[in-house]
Amino acid sequence: MMNALKREFRFLLRQRAVIGILLGAFALSSIAVWAGVSEVSKQNAEITALLEADAAERVAAIEGQSNYGGAAYYTFHLTYDRPSSLAFAALGVRDIFPWKHRIRMLALEGQIYETDGGNPALSNSGRFDYVFVAALIAPLLVILLLHDLCASERAAGRYDLLVATEGGNEAVWVTRTCVRALALTVAVTTPFLLGALVTQAPASAIAAVFGVTALHIAFWALLAYLVTSFKFSAPTTATLLAGFWVATSFVAPSLSDSAIEQAVPSPEGGDIVLQQREAVNDAWDVPKDVTMRAFLEQYPQWTEKAAIEKPFEWKWYYAFQQVGDMSVAEMAKAYRTAIEKRYALAGVAALASPPALVTRALTRLADTDVTAALNYEKRVRAFHEDLRMFHYPLLFEDPPYSAGILENLPAYSEGPSKAQS
Amino acid sequence: MKHILTIANDEIRYWRRSKLAVGVLAVGVMLTLASLLLTNARMAEAAHKRAELQTEAHDTFLAQPARHPHRMVHYGHYVFRTPPPLSAIDPGVDAVTGTSIFLEGHRQNTAMFAERRQSAGLAVFGDLTPAFCLQVLAPLLLILVGFASVAREREARTLDLLTAQGVSLQSMVFGKAIALMAVGAVMIAPLAIAALLSGESFAIASLFSAGYGLYLIAWCSLTVFVSAQVKQPNMSLALLFGVWALVVVLTPRIASSTAATVVDAPGKIATDFAMFTALREVGDGHNAADPAFQKLRANLLAQYNVDSVEELPINIRGVVAGEAEAQLTDVMNDFADRRMQNEAAQANVARQFAWISPLLAIRNLSATLAGVDLETHHRFLREAERVRFDFVQGLNKVHAEVLTYKDDMRRSSDPAAEKRTRVSAENWKVLEDFRFEPASAVERIKRAFSPLSILLLWIGAIIALITTVKRREI
Repeated sequence: MMNALKREFRFLLRQRAVIGILLGAFALSSIAVWAGVSEVSKQNAEITALLEADAAERVAAIEGQSNYGGAAYYTFHLTYDRPSSLAFAALGVRDIFPWKHRIRMLALEGQIYETDGGNPALSNSGRFDYVFVAALIAPLLVILLLHDLCASERAAGRYDLLVATEGGNEAVWVTRTCVRALALTVAVTTPFLLGALVTQAPASAIAAVFGVTALHIAFWALLAYLVTSFKFSAPTTATLLAGFWVATSFVAPSLSDSAIEQAVPSPEGGDIVLQQREAVNDAWDVPKDVTMRAFLEQYPQWTEKAAIEKPFEWKWYYAFQQVGDMSVAEMAKAYRTAIEKRYALAGVAALASPPALVTRALTRLADTDVTAALNYEKRVRAFHEDLRMFHYPLLFEDPPYSAGILENLPAYSEGPSKAQS
Repeated sequence: MKHILTIANDEIRYWRRSKLAVGVLAVGVMLTLASLLLTNARMAEAAHKRAELQTEAHDTFLAQPARHPHRMVHYGHYVFRTPPPLSAIDPGVDAVTGTSIFLEGHRQNTAMFAERRQSAGLAVFGDLTPAFCLQVLAPLLLILVGFASVAREREARTLDLLTAQGVSLQSMVFGKAIALMAVGAVMIAPLAIAALLSGESFAIASLFSAGYGLYLIAWCSLTVFVSAQVKQPNMSLALLFGVWALVVVLTPRIASSTAATVVDAPGKIATDFAMFTALREVGDGHNAADPAFQKLRANLLAQYNVDSVEELPINIRGVVAGEAEAQLTDVMNDFADRRMQNEAAQANVARQFAWISPLLAIRNLSATLAGVDLETHHRFLREAERVRFDFVQGLNKVHAEVLTYKDDMRRSSDPAAEKRTRVSAENWKVLEDFRFEPASAVERIKRAFSPLSILLLWIGAIIALITTVKRREI
C-alpha cells in the first residue's frame, strides 16, 4: 500500500497539468486568505478609530449640558461587532447586516435598522474569501483533477497495463484519487492555516475548518470516483460532474431560498418604522398620563414619580420614546423571528447543497453568519436597556445635575467569548 | 460564405441528433424560464409593496393634524426606492442596498432594509435571476455544446476530408461558431421577449438584449476557436472549463476584493465624526439666539428697519431654522458626496476587470441599462436628500411666515399661545409626491457606452484570433 502511495505521489509530481492545478489552488487560497486578513484588519482598525472618536465626541456632547435629559439626548454610544479571529476566512454577512451603530437613548426601533453598510456594488459580486475557495472553487478543481482519471490512461494506452500490474483490481484508481484529493486539501488549507496562525485563532476552530474543508474535498473526490467508475468518456464525466456542481451550488440554493421565503412570511421592515414613528409622534398630542400609564405597565417601579406637571418634561419624553418601541415590539420580534426561522430552515435545505453546507459551517465557526448578526442586534438591545436603566433613576428621581455622574454611563460590552484577532 | 452556412447547418443537424446538446439546451432554457418567473414575481411584489408604502407615507404625512411646523420637521417622511421594470431580469444591487430612507430635519439617514437580509441566505454564490443564468450559466452550457465542434472532426479525421474539398479551417470555425450562436439565440429568446414586454423603453430593452447577444457571441466564438486549436475534445473541454471558471466565477470576486483593498471607503459613522466637527461651526438652528446667527439677525433688523426681533413681521425662529438647515445641509452633502465618490471609485476599480473578464462587461452593461447599478442607488440617495431638504425648508418657511415670534416664544408656558402655533394641515402640502425613477434612457445609454465597447473589443479580439488560425498539421 505504502509503495502504491509513493508511486502515485511520484507520478503526480511528474504531471504538469496536475501540478499546475495544485499550484493554482494554493495561489487562489493564498489570495483569498490575504484579502480576508486585510479586510478584517481594516474592520478592526476602523472599530479602534471609531471607539476613540466616539469617546471624544461624547465628552464634547456632555460638556455644556445642564440636565440629564438633554445630556442623554445629545450623547451617542458606539456599538459594534468585532470580527472574530476566524472572520478572515469567512467574511459572511457582515456587508449585509450592520456591525456598527451609534445608539442614543431615543426609541431604538428608529435607530437599529440603520445600516452603515459596505459598498453595494462590491457586496453584490461578493468577496473573495477562503469560504469561496473551499466551498465553490475546490469542487471545480476536484473535477478538473479527477474527471479524466481512467480516460487519460486509456487514451495514453497505459490503462490495461496499469490495471494488470495492480492485479486486475481498481486499487490503482482509488490510490490515485486519494493522492490527488489529499494534495488538493493540502494546497487549499495551507494558506488558511498560515492565516489562522497570524490571527491567533483557537486551535479547535482551526481544526474544525480544516476538517470541513477536507470532508468537502473528500465528498467531491468520492463523487468523481463514482462517476468515473462508469467509464464514460472524459467529457461526459466532466459534464455530469459540472452539472452536479452547478445544480448544488447555484440552482438548489436559489430555489430553496425562494421556497423558504414563500413558506415563512415576514412583516415589512418599512411597516415597523412607519408605525413606530406614528406612536412616537402621536405622543406629543395624546394626554401625557395616557403615555405614562402605558410606560408604567412595563416599569411600575416609577409609579410614584410619574406625574407630569410641566408642558415638557424629559421623563415624559423618554417614556414616550419607550412606549413607541413597545408599540412595535411584537412586529419587530416577528421580523427577527422570520429571519431566524428562514435561516434555520435554510440549514435543512443546505443538506441538498454541499457548498452551501460548507458556507454555513464556516461562517458559523467564524461567527459571521446570520446568527452572529442577530446576536449582535441582541447586544445592542441589551445595551440600550442598560442605558435606559441608568437614566430612568436620574430622570424620575430628579437629583441635581452633576456631569460627574455621567462618567459612570454604562459601557457597551462586546459580548462573550469571541477570540479577538 | 456558402461553405460557412453549410457547415453551420450541418453542425445544428448534428446537435439535434445528440442527446447531450439537446439536453443541455433544454436545461438552459428551463433554468432561464424558471428564473424569469421567480424573479419577476419577486420584483413585481417588491415594486408593488414599495409603491404602496410610498403612498401610505405620503398620505399619513398630509393627514397629520394641525401642529407646530417644526414638529413636522422631526415627524419626517419616508421614501422608498421602487425597482425599475428591467429589475425583473437583472435586480442588480437592489437586494443588497437598503430600499427605504427616513427623511427628517438636521440629519441624513442611511437606507434601511436590504432585501438580502430577509433572505434565507443559501444562494451566496449568486441568485438564480435571468441575468445570472445568461451571464454565468449560459456560457458554461454553450461550452458543453460546442467544445468538441472542431476537435471532434479532427479526432475523427473528417477535418482532412473537408479541407481536401477546399473548406478552409477558418470557414469551418466561423460556420461552427454561427451554429453555436443559434443555440445561444434560443437561450436568449426568453430574456429578450421579457425585456421587450417589461415596460422599459424600446431602445433600452433592445440594447439590453443586444448586449447579452454580444456577450454570448464572444463565448461562442471563443469556444469554437479553442476547439479548433487543440488535438482532442477532452483537452478542449478542460481548457474552456478553466477559462470559464477564471472569467466567470473567480474574476468578479477578485475584482471586488481588489477594489476594497485598493480604495479606502470609510463608512458613514466614521465620516460622521469629521462632519460633527465641521457642523459645530454652523450653530444650533433650534436656538435663534445662537451667536452663529448674529449676522443674519442684524441683516433682518436692518432689512425691515426695526430695532428688535419682536418687531419683525416674520418669525425669526423660522428664518434661523431655515438658515441653519441650509448651512448644515451643505456640510452634510459635502460629506455624502465624498462617500459616494469613494464608492464610485471602488466600483470603478472593480469595473476595470472587465478587460480580463467579459462577464464584468456584460454585468455593468446590464445593470446600467436596467437602472440597478451603483449610480442609480446614488441617484436615489441624492433624490431622497433633495426631497428631505425641500420639505424641511418648506416647513421652515411656514414657521417663519405663518406663526408669530411672540406665540412661538411663549408656547411652552402659555397654552393659548401654544394653540396658535399649531398651523393647519393645509401647510403639509409642501411635501412633494415622490416616485423614484432611474436616470433617463439617453443618460443610461451614454453610460453603457464604456462596457459596450469593452464587449465589442472582446469580440473583435476573438475574431482576430480566429482569422489567424492556420491549418494545423495533425
